[in-house]
Amino acid sequence: MAEEQLVTFSLGSEEFGVDIMCVQEIIRIPPITRVPKAPTYVEGVINLRGNVIPVISLRSRFSMARVEETDLSRIIVLQVKTKVFGIRVDAVTEVLRLASEAIEPPPPIALGMDAQFIRGVGKIGERLLILLELDQIMGGE
Amino acid sequence: MSDDGDKTMDIDLGEFLGFYLLDSSEQIERLGAGLLQLEKEGGNIGLINDLFRSAHSLKGASGTMGFTPIVAMTHAAEDLLDRLRQGKIEVSPELIDVLLAVTDRVKEMLSQVEQHQEISIGFEDLVSSMRALLTGEKPLVSKNTPLAQAEPQQEEAARVIFVPLDFSLSEAEAENMSDAHMMGHGVYQIDVTLAPETLMKAVRAVMATQRLEGMGTVIKILPSVEDLEASNSETFSLLVLCDEPVEEIRKELLEVSELVAVQVNDYRVSDERVAEAGAEATRPVETVRPSQEIPVESETIVPVSVVPVAVAVPVPVPVPINQAVGGESNAPVHTIRVDTVRMDNLINLVGEMVITRTRLVQIGSDLKAQYSTDGMVNNLNEANVYLGRLMNDLQESVMRLRMVAIGTVFSRFPRLVRDLAKKTGKEMELILKGEDTELDKTVVEVIGDPLMHLIRNSVDHGIESPEERRAAGKPELGTITLDAYHEGNHIAIIISDDGAGLDLVKIRGLAVERGLIGEKEELSDSDISQLIFLPGFSTAETVTDISGRGVGMDVVKKALTNLGGLVDITTRKGKGTTFTIRLPLTLAIIQALLVEVGEEIYAVPLSSVLETLLVKLDDIKTVGGLPMVQLRGNTLPLISLQEKFDLPTPESTSSEVYVVVVGFGEKALGLIVDELRGQQEVVIKSLGDFLNNLPGIAGATILGDGKVTLILDVGSLIQDVLVKKIS
Repeated sequence: MAEEQLVTFSLGSEEFGVDIMCVQEIIRIPPITRVPKAPTYVEGVINLRGNVIPVISLRSRFSMARVEETDLSRIIVLQVKTKVFGIRVDAVTEVLRLASEAIEPPPPIALGMDAQFIRGVGKIGERLLILLELDQIMGGE
Repeated sequence: MSDDGDKTMDIDLGEFLGFYLLDSSEQIERLGAGLLQLEKEGGNIGLINDLFRSAHSLKGASGTMGFTPIVAMTHAAEDLLDRLRQGKIEVSPELIDVLLAVTDRVKEMLSQVEQHQEISIGFEDLVSSMRALLTGEKPLVSKNTPLAQAEPQQEEAARVIFVPLDFSLSEAEAENMSDAHMMGHGVYQIDVTLAPETLMKAVRAVMATQRLEGMGTVIKILPSVEDLEASNSETFSLLVLCDEPVEEIRKELLEVSELVAVQVNDYRVSDERVAEAGAEATRPVETVRPSQEIPVESETIVPVSVVPVAVAVPVPVPVPINQAVGGESNAPVHTIRVDTVRMDNLINLVGEMVITRTRLVQIGSDLKAQYSTDGMVNNLNEANVYLGRLMNDLQESVMRLRMVAIGTVFSRFPRLVRDLAKKTGKEMELILKGEDTELDKTVVEVIGDPLMHLIRNSVDHGIESPEERRAAGKPELGTITLDAYHEGNHIAIIISDDGAGLDLVKIRGLAVERGLIGEKEELSDSDISQLIFLPGFSTAETVTDISGRGVGMDVVKKALTNLGGLVDITTRKGKGTTFTIRLPLTLAIIQALLVEVGEEIYAVPLSSVLETLLVKLDDIKTVGGLPMVQLRGNTLPLISLQEKFDLPTPESTSSEVYVVVVGFGEKALGLIVDELRGQQEVVIKSLGDFLNNLPGIAGATILGDGKVTLILDVGSLIQDVLVKKIS
């Protein structure tokens, strides 16, 4: 039975998942350097062991209100094709396996956010997991 | 019989393609440079031999890889060079031309190979012109002519003395051999010398073995194929049973590529024992002279020598085997090739360590403040100081890994000058100096084109025609000198010619005519010469395809400025022109001025900082919507980085602000900042594809505290203001 392994995280009350194969590492929030004139959803750049990588604020990408950093805030460092970038999330929740049948295509009206960022919705009992289309998060076409 | 295991050795050529390409392009470079030298010193037999060897190993390697077009061309070239070294033909301009054309063609073919394409470029034309040169040879000089005597020393050095080896035969093998001997079969020891730096030595040995298996039986190979690959030895010996004539054996083996010398000697069964004794001491070789049963044909083909005479003369000097056969090529290898990605990775890691060390120092001093009397804290701090010293050394060593001699760039210019000289009908030579001067790989990669433009310019506009030179009382042969040396943190590259010099009056006139300067404007000579770097400026009356349509010089200037470089011109009418380029040694590390704007820190490349000022707010006037300040009688446009980068306006306003005056080319601009934080060496990092083209930002760097700091792109900031000014 085909299944996917996902890293799940939360933004406010909603839960999201990304393919674990794209996740390079999960780090605490280091000092972020703002980049003037960059797109608004780019929070800035960080130093990841000598490499400068951009960090995307998912809250800003999904037009959600900004929140203060907490102890649980993390940056998930992703590698999508050749691009390495971080996404800032409120908290990383767990790593889980999800059967492919439990994933449905994105609903037409997607929870008030751009449908282009959503690959599908996963169901685990009563929980709904929004699976992200990572290609689109970082610029996209 | 004994080595069937080796014969079936399967070799995947694809694996060796990379090696092949590297090696072949090196041979091509060597050929190209050598041919140019040959043009000047036609009779240099050593040089011809070098060329022959390069062509030969190129042919061999290409043959192994199955690139027949390259083999065909190099084979013909080899023939030509062979005749040349035999003195049957002489060096002529046509010969050099066609051989150079061969190197060009092979280069093109190699690039097709590199792109995994079939070689589709024709070669027949070159082969036939080479053949034409071959047939136009001078009357034959017989083989054993004075030529051989003319170079007696070389001849002697090249001859190899036969030393029977101890093959440590097994009993069965020994029996086999003595049987064969008794039956009247030939038993030979074949000493084979490989071309210097042959790759895949084992392959050659296997190929040689296979060839011989077709004619007889190979009993033993020494060193064994496995050892041969692992060792540095460029020779191996075979013990062979064979009935073919010695000459046939040699010929057969020499067809294997990269085998440069083959010596076939009779091997007597008793030699086995004699050799044992011989191996122990360096005793005169003459005592173990080859047997007399078959006419002795102890003959060596060594490309270094002129055609060898047929009979070996015993030389009563003991020569150690390895020296005799390997010759100078036994020099140990001093360099290795490393993928640049690995090197960059290393540099990155070192950078990280430097940053971590700064943190350790910070922790140490924090601890010191808290536990000032604790001996452990002092120990930690001492260790930190030592670590710091080590880190500095390490960083310097690692940066040195990236340094490349500028000779790699220079080496392509002699050919360029030669071709241009032919085209223009001028006579000139290019003198290279300081080729060993090292600079960072990043600079080496980009400096080639600007230099080429400047050299073309010197050829086209600098050096006069032979008639003009004669009239001016100068030697007809013009000279262009290319020199490089270190100057503090910079490298200086000099391109000078002894040509006509710049016509400053004409340049000035043209500039006025084109409205680039005012008629009354007072300019120093050096200011006027700098005018040639303006876009669209060319004083050549006729547009040539050499230095182009006046697009060259401003491109040169721009390219150099982008590298953080400067170019100066000194010129004397009738005496020549000298361009002096000054470049930073590396592009990976720059000196930067750190400035504070609001809460943020930015790095300004120091190469573009002209000065810093403290300006009273009252002195800043707004002209046409742009803030300006008077600086020594000139107006200097200002921009506020805080506004430019959408930073919140600071609450407290002082009556004075810092202005960093930056210049790019001829234009200057003042950046209003809050604080100056001093200058520092910073390592430039890319922001990645995604954030690459942001206005005003050239890149990023990581400071001692581990935080990312952005590096300003002065050029684009200035551009931006100028556009605003116009609109």
